[in-house]
Amino acid sequence: MSSPSAYNPDTTDLDRLHPAVKREKIDVAPGTEPSPMWVIFLALLVAVLGGSQLGNVANFAFETSNPLAGAKLPDPRPGTGGGGAELDPMQLAMKKGAATYALCGGCHQGSGQGVPGAFPPLAGSDWVMGGTERNIRVVLHGLNGPIKVKGADFTAPSAMPPQGAVLSDQDIANVLTYVRNSFGNKGGMVTKEMVQKVREAEKARATPWTGAELDKYADKDAAADAPPAAK
Amino acid sequence: MAQPATNDIDSDSLRRAAIDRSVKGPVLFLFTNGAFWLMASTILGLLAAVKHVFPDFLDHDWLWFLQYGRLQPAHLVALVYGWGIQAGLGVAFWIMSRRTGQELRGGHATLISAGVFWNIAVTLGILGILFGGSTSIEWLEMPKYLWPVFLICFLAYAWPMVSMFARARNPGGFMISAWYMLGASLWFPWIFITANVCLHCLPGLGAIGAGVSAWYVHSTILLFFVPVGIGAAYYFIPKVTGRPIASYQLARIGFWALAVLGGWSGMQRYMGGPLPAWMPAVGAASGVMMLMPVGVVGWNHHLTTLGKHNLVQTSPSLRFTFMGALFYPISSLMFAVLSAFYTGASLQFTHAWYGFQIVTIYGFFSMCIFGAIYYIVPRLAGCEWLSVRLIRNHFWFSVYGISAIVVTSLVCGLQQGGDMNNPEKWNLGFFAVVGGIKPYIIARAVAWGLITWSNVWFLIHLMLMVAGLGRRSSSPTLLPGHDIEDPMHNLTHPTHA
Repeated sequence: MSSPSAYNPDTTDLDRLHPAVKREKIDVAPGTEPSPMWVIFLALLVAVLGGSQLGNVANFAFETSNPLAGAKLPDPRPGTGGGGAELDPMQLAMKKGAATYALCGGCHQGSGQGVPGAFPPLAGSDWVMGGTERNIRVVLHGLNGPIKVKGADFTAPSAMPPQGAVLSDQDIANVLTYVRNSFGNKGGMVTKEMVQKVREAEKARATPWTGAELDKYADKDAAADAPPAAK
Repeated sequence: MAQPATNDIDSDSLRRAAIDRSVKGPVLFLFTNGAFWLMASTILGLLAAVKHVFPDFLDHDWLWFLQYGRLQPAHLVALVYGWGIQAGLGVAFWIMSRRTGQELRGGHATLISAGVFWNIAVTLGILGILFGGSTSIEWLEMPKYLWPVFLICFLAYAWPMVSMFARARNPGGFMISAWYMLGASLWFPWIFITANVCLHCLPGLGAIGAGVSAWYVHSTILLFFVPVGIGAAYYFIPKVTGRPIASYQLARIGFWALAVLGGWSGMQRYMGGPLPAWMPAVGAASGVMMLMPVGVVGWNHHLTTLGKHNLVQTSPSLRFTFMGALFYPISSLMFAVLSAFYTGASLQFTHAWYGFQIVTIYGFFSMCIFGAIYYIVPRLAGCEWLSVRLIRNHFWFSVYGISAIVVTSLVCGLQQGGDMNNPEKWNLGFFAVVGGIKPYIIARAVAWGLITWSNVWFLIHLMLMVAGLGRRSSSPTLLPGHDIEDPMHNLTHPTHA
């Protein structure tokens, strides 16, 4: 290091100096060894990995914003014809229906047993296992008045509230499929199209059903294009 | 070259002491205020983590401003502007004057005023965020009118550094750490002006505003925090070990690769978002390619430290710097994983990004700055650090705390992203996914608690030193190790190239 000799320090200056400064190590010039070859190779490898982000995946296009656009990767969501299309529709409906059932479980209980005298059971219920036309109507518009389920009378001080405004056709189809295939029940699948048809047919209805009104749908299944029962 | 005469060493010591005296005021001012904001930031981080899990905590009417949505940005603003840039400027300023051999010739009053205004701006910014004036732009949440204040104060420090570099007398090989400091002082104003003009002055930016904000965050990390951290490591590792930097060529490759690649990153955060695809693509490419400068610098530091690992045990400066230099490749690896499309698609918008910010600003940058502060302050304050125990606590609490935050954030991000992309979990609501990460946030709260504890003691220790109440002794405060080297020993056998 080029140090100016003009200073000519005297001992008092040095004594006053803080020892931390005096004990510092002298600066040394860095080594001049060339960098090893493998550093260059590793750097190239990283450059290839980085460069692959430009071409392969992102398509490097001005007019697209989706990095998957150029990659021909299928959209994994079910119903889009991509990778998730093979997902069994019954399994999907059961899974999603189970989540929607949280709405029902408050009264009908998680086990589907209901509460004797207050909320009718779903497990083994003739109402649930009967015609899907009736099922869908009950969920869409609610139910008022006394009914008889599994031989027990429910005079229903608290009516079943309508869910048609809250749940989509798909949601209702899912939850009905779930109810008809849980708690020991074994019924068919309810599809979105079936719910759609009933909703369309009862467009004008604004009030809940009564048990008597629904009797004519007791054994009627919605639309003939219903898929066969669970595999 | 011949061995330097004793007289030269003496005059050299006197010259270094004169440089230290000339920068003492501004540098100690920045360190002390920075340490205060660091403590404030960790307390805010602790509160934010607790509020994330238990929103009812401290839920009183008069504490209406304590909400996660305000605490989290306030925590990061305090960490970035209060501590990071402030303490980083202090270290950069000291290293620049030492490395170029230049005393600060004047303008002390300007520098101190700039420091005071910087701290006023940080205070107003954090209060503004807490009381609802946030701009909602990441890292620029403080009220709009503050950015010119930050800019002018920064330039007040950047200008003397640039002019010191211009007057430098040292030959090129000694200047490696000064390059990085020069880079940081030139790049940050460019990034800061660009981002603020784009976001605050241009009307109707639309979706690209989000991209600019992400670019600002990552350019600030890569072109301010990273160069200051590396520059400090390049200065202190050779200084404490007494060994030369292993390879000048590697150092140059590392510097230029960072300079060229650093400014392209950030927009990959919005991969798949409403930006032209080439923007995230360029960001992802540069994010992955950042592994190059990081690997080169890391290898160089490793070669420099080789055979001197006993000093890592005993010297507080080297121990912190060494740990910071270790965190640097980890942060870069994390950045590459977040940036690449293959993995980034799952980690996007998860807590893993927070983990990356913390590992870079705290694990890497702040650890290097702590190392620098433990080295610089005794020279400026004229006394030695008081307590080995406090230093050791500071070190271990920081290391364990940061590691915990980084690991839990990364695992948390993997779980979050995995749950949201998993067809099996599509029946779960968004809030069920959010609820599933509670354990990680609780771990984060505990970690910030540990770090806060160590920072309170660090602040007290530093304030005692600045007040001149440190140990009056000629021997340094060293941590116990199994092979303590006599610090005077090396001075008498300099290997002068």
